[in-house]
Order: sequence, then C-alpha cells, then structure tokens
Amino acid sequence: MTLRADHVAGAFFILFGIVVHALSGDLPTGQLSMPGSGFLPKIVATLTMLLGLALVLRARESERFAEVPWADGKHALMVTAIAAAAIYLYTITGFLITLMVMIFALLVIVERRNPLYAGGYSVAIVLVTYACFSYLLKTPLPGLTLGQ
Amino acid sequence: METTILSLAHGFAVAFQPDNLWYAFLGCLVGTLVGVLPGIGPLSGISILLPVTFGLNATQAVIMLAGIYYGSQYGGSTTSILMRIPGEASSVMTCIDGNAMAKRGRAGAALCIAAVGSWVAGTFGVIMLTIVAPPLATIALKFGPPEYTALLVLGLIFLAYMSSSSLIRTLLMACIGLLCGMIGIDNMTGHFRYAFDLPELGDGIGIVPVAVGLFGLGEILSTPSHKVGGEVISPKMRELLPNRQEWRESAWPIARGTVLGFIIGIIPGSAHIISSFLSYALERRLSKHPEQFGKGAVAGVAGPESANNSASTGAFVPMLALGIPTGPITAVLIGALMVHGVNAGPQLVTEHPDVFWGFVASMYVGNLMLLALNLPLVSVFVTVLRIPYAYLYPLIIMFCIVGVYEVSHSIVDVWIMLIMGLLGYALRKFQFDPAPLVLGLVIAPLLEQSLRQSLIMSNGNYTIFFQRPISLGLLVVCVILLGLSAMTFVLKQKDWRTKLAEAEAGEETT
Repeated sequence: MTLRADHVAGAFFILFGIVVHALSGDLPTGQLSMPGSGFLPKIVATLTMLLGLALVLRARESERFAEVPWADGKHALMVTAIAAAAIYLYTITGFLITLMVMIFALLVIVERRNPLYAGGYSVAIVLVTYACFSYLLKTPLPGLTLGQ
Repeated sequence: METTILSLAHGFAVAFQPDNLWYAFLGCLVGTLVGVLPGIGPLSGISILLPVTFGLNATQAVIMLAGIYYGSQYGGSTTSILMRIPGEASSVMTCIDGNAMAKRGRAGAALCIAAVGSWVAGTFGVIMLTIVAPPLATIALKFGPPEYTALLVLGLIFLAYMSSSSLIRTLLMACIGLLCGMIGIDNMTGHFRYAFDLPELGDGIGIVPVAVGLFGLGEILSTPSHKVGGEVISPKMRELLPNRQEWRESAWPIARGTVLGFIIGIIPGSAHIISSFLSYALERRLSKHPEQFGKGAVAGVAGPESANNSASTGAFVPMLALGIPTGPITAVLIGALMVHGVNAGPQLVTEHPDVFWGFVASMYVGNLMLLALNLPLVSVFVTVLRIPYAYLYPLIIMFCIVGVYEVSHSIVDVWIMLIMGLLGYALRKFQFDPAPLVLGLVIAPLLEQSLRQSLIMSNGNYTIFFQRPISLGLLVVCVILLGLSAMTFVLKQKDWRTKLAEAEAGEETT
C-alpha cells in the first residue's frame, strides 16, 4: 500500500481526537438536561476522529506522502528557530536588542545578505518602529530586564 | 426608511469627525498596501494591526480595520495587473486579463477600470448594507438559543459547502477551531479545560495569536524569498484613463459583478474569493467574444474586481446584524469589537448606534478615498512592489511578535502564535485551508453556550431544535447542503466547487 498525504493527515486527526478524549477524562459530561463542561468537547473530539477516519478512507485521492513538497522546509526551520530565540529573549533583553538581532540574523543567516546593509537596515527599522509605538501610539514596549 | 436615513445622517456626522476620517484614511492606505504586497493577505494584515487599535475607541478601531479589509480588495488588483502575482487570493482572476492588458500597453486603463469597478461595487454594497442590516437585526432579536445554535451550525456547514477544498477537510478544520475555542474556564460551570496549569490559558486562546500565526507567520514560513519576484510593469499617468470602447465593455460586467458579489458576500465562506471566480466564469459565458478571455478582455478585469469588493461589503451584513462571522476576516473584526466591549449582533444598532452607523457611513467615505488613493498613487505602490521580499518579511515577523505581545502583554500568546505558524505551514503542505479553524475558534463559545442553554431550556429534549420554526428551517437548509455534498461524493460528479478548485490550482501553477 502506498502511503498518501491523507493517510498521515487522517491518522493525525484520529490521534488528536483520542488525546482530547484522554484529556477530557475528568471533565463532567453531564446529562442532556444539564450538559457538563465535557459535553461539547467530547462530541467535537469524536467528530474529529470520524472525519479523520473518512480522510484516511478517501486517501487514495490525495498525493503520495513522499511527493509532498518540502523544498521550503529549510527556510521554514531557520525562520522558526530564529523567531523562537527572539520570543524567548523578548522579555529578557527587551524590544530593541532582541528584534535588531532577530532581523539581522534573518537577513544574514537565512537570506545571505551583506552584513553591513543588514545591520543598518535592522537598526533603522527597529528604531523607527520603537519611536512609532512609544511616541505615536503611546504603547510601551518591553525594555531590558537582564540581571534585574 | 425615514429612521434609516436619519440614523445614516447621524452616522455621517460621526464619520466626518476629523479623527474618524483620519483612521478611515489610514485603514484604506494600509489596506491598499496590504493588498499590493504579495504574501500579506487582508486577514494577516488586520490581525497584525489589531493591537494597534487598542488605544482607539470602538468606532475608530472598526473603521480602521474595515478600511484595511476593503482597501486590500482594491490594492490586490495592482499587483495582479502589473506583476501577474495576486496580492491576495481574490485577485487571482484579475491576473489573467489584467496582466494581458498591461502587456498590451493598457496597464493604466486596467487599473482605472478595476478601481472604478471596485468603487461602484463598494458603494452599492454599502447602500445595500444600510437597507438590509437594520431590519435583519430586528428579526434576529426574536432569536433564542435554539435558533442561534441552528444558525451557527448552518454557518459552519455553509462554509464547508462553499469551500473549494473538500467538505471533510473544511469540517475538520472547523472542529479543531471549535476545540481550541473550548480551552480555558467553562463559563457555565467554572471548570478549567485543557489549560495545562497555565493561568494565561484561563481566558482561552485569543483570536489574535491564532490568526496572526496561521495567516501571517504561516504564510512567511511557506514563502521563501526566491519564490517572490517578477517584473513590474510601470504605467504612465497619462495612460490611466480607459478609452470609450473600454468603458462600454466594462459597464455591464461591473453591474453584474456588483450584484453577484453582494449576494455571495452574505453567504458564509470565502465569499470575496468565490465571487471573483464566479463573476469571471459568468462574464466569459455571456461574452460575445469568449476567445478574448485570457488575452486581455476588459470584462475579465471589471467583473471579478467589482464582485470581490461587493462581496467584502456584503460579508458585513450577517456580521453586524446577526453577530455571526461569515469568514475569518469578519471573525477577527467581531473579535476586535469584543476587545472594545462591543458585541456585534442584533443589539448593536440600538445599543451602539455611533459604532454601527459611524462604521456604515465611513464606508461610503472610505470607498471615495480609495478611488482617490489608488489611481494617483499608483506609482508609489509600484515603488513599494520593488522592495525585495527578503527585507520585507523580517519586518512582518517583528510586527507579528510585537502585535501579539501587546494584546495582553503575555509571552504565552507569542508562543501560541509561533505554534500556530508551524501548524499553518503544515496545514498548507497537506492542502488544508486554515480559515475555518479561525471561524470555529470564534464561534465556539457562542455555539457551546447556546447549545447547552437550549438543552437546559427543553429539559434535555433535543427535539427543541425541530419544534421552533426558525431553527427547523435553518436545520433543513443544513440537511439539504449536506445532501448536495453527499450526492456529489456518491455520484463522483464534478460540481461547481471542484471546477472552481481546479481553476484556482491551474491559475496558481501558471
């Protein structure tokens, strides 16, 4: 049997439904006259599993799993890693440092741009944004909290 | 009718306040840029800029966000015509004949026809909204929990039926959205659900991190910079006016696209996308020279552009009158109103007349602003199109992080956005449209509450949904739609949705 994209997707949704059911164990389902907090989640989780099963059964219409294009995977992975690092540091090193470094890293590491241009661009764009938020929109942005 | 006119006059008084005019202008300008730039759709644009509106009052916020929405419909045509890249999904059909016109040296005429068609359609849509929404809201006041339950279920099924991807895929996405919408404290019993001891999840998952993640970050993850580019055709100012023949050829397609778009806009689903496809198909079928379609037919630009603008206005009817989102964009707008303590729905007209009528009147003004913006500033937008995408997307990621964080100053929300970005990327790989997920997330609390209230009201008798005429009627429509979908599946026929999906896929690969 050829593994197809919808086999994988359908299996994921069935598994997801099972996980939701498992997590709903301590939530009361209640009765029809007084539905509990687990009532609708369990119905929707069951529906998810049934629809996932339907997807698996109709998987022949989908493309082969091996043919799912992942050429942009490296780009996605690098962008995610840099964004994740920025999110982790955002409340520690603050808006200015974190986002300057993030934009610089994206331009130099992912896009292979000239570090000089990338540095100038990231500093300028982050400073302009900081000024816009702080002075025009009156929205405070996180500052450096390292060591506090 | 007299009351409507008086209320509209009050709305104009609100809309003409300098602050509101400024935010309408800002929304239109940003919306046009959002539409012009490939890779940022109206949904991601609205989601990213949503936190910026928190410092404004509800009227200003909704005026600005709606300006972004209908502005993006205008702006999308610029990229389609000049680069053959749809700035956003509803401009896909404009690419074909708009770019062919541009290559024949008629870029200015194509842009002008698109702008005038969009203005006519947008204005017609607002007039219809003015007439239809208030009486619809009065009817909706008679709705109780069973009617709301049936209406929300119908909304989901309609969305699944209208979707060009399969019914199963759309319903699956809606289910995931519903489950996400049930995270947090249960309003009726106080139980903590799926919160993993994170206090930040007590209020549930916000719409902003989900929408920004799925549509903003997800789009960036699946778009490497080398995929975005292409030649930009630069129109000259003196070439902007179409000739008499082109005006004649565009008049009826604009009229037909306008009416068709508004009707489709009211129906749940990605109305602005579907309406442009249907308008293109209709114009080709009605044309005396169908062979010209694809080679620069004026009707191929005028019809779809009018249809998508009219549809985007039509989508506001159920949003404002019933409080029901017909798509992810109206769902985000409802979320934006909720942030400001205003609930969209039948009581909006009576409880917040400033918001409702100010918003409606601002759309008349906004459409005029867009007409004035789009044509003279076309060379500015062409310059924006020349900014390399590699420099643009780091900026968008920055706005995603800042925007999501500023909603509630919660870093957990930003992590949720990142997870949703990865989910959006994966969903695209497996041909899932994430839009129903956002819709499910928004309607989950309302659906759960109305379903449980209905059952409590009837002492557990589920036939309550069939005993009340409105909910029975709505459920009958649900059954008919499911039956139609099942028939297509069993008979393995290609219905209009399959053909639409094929046309969309075919255009994307060219």
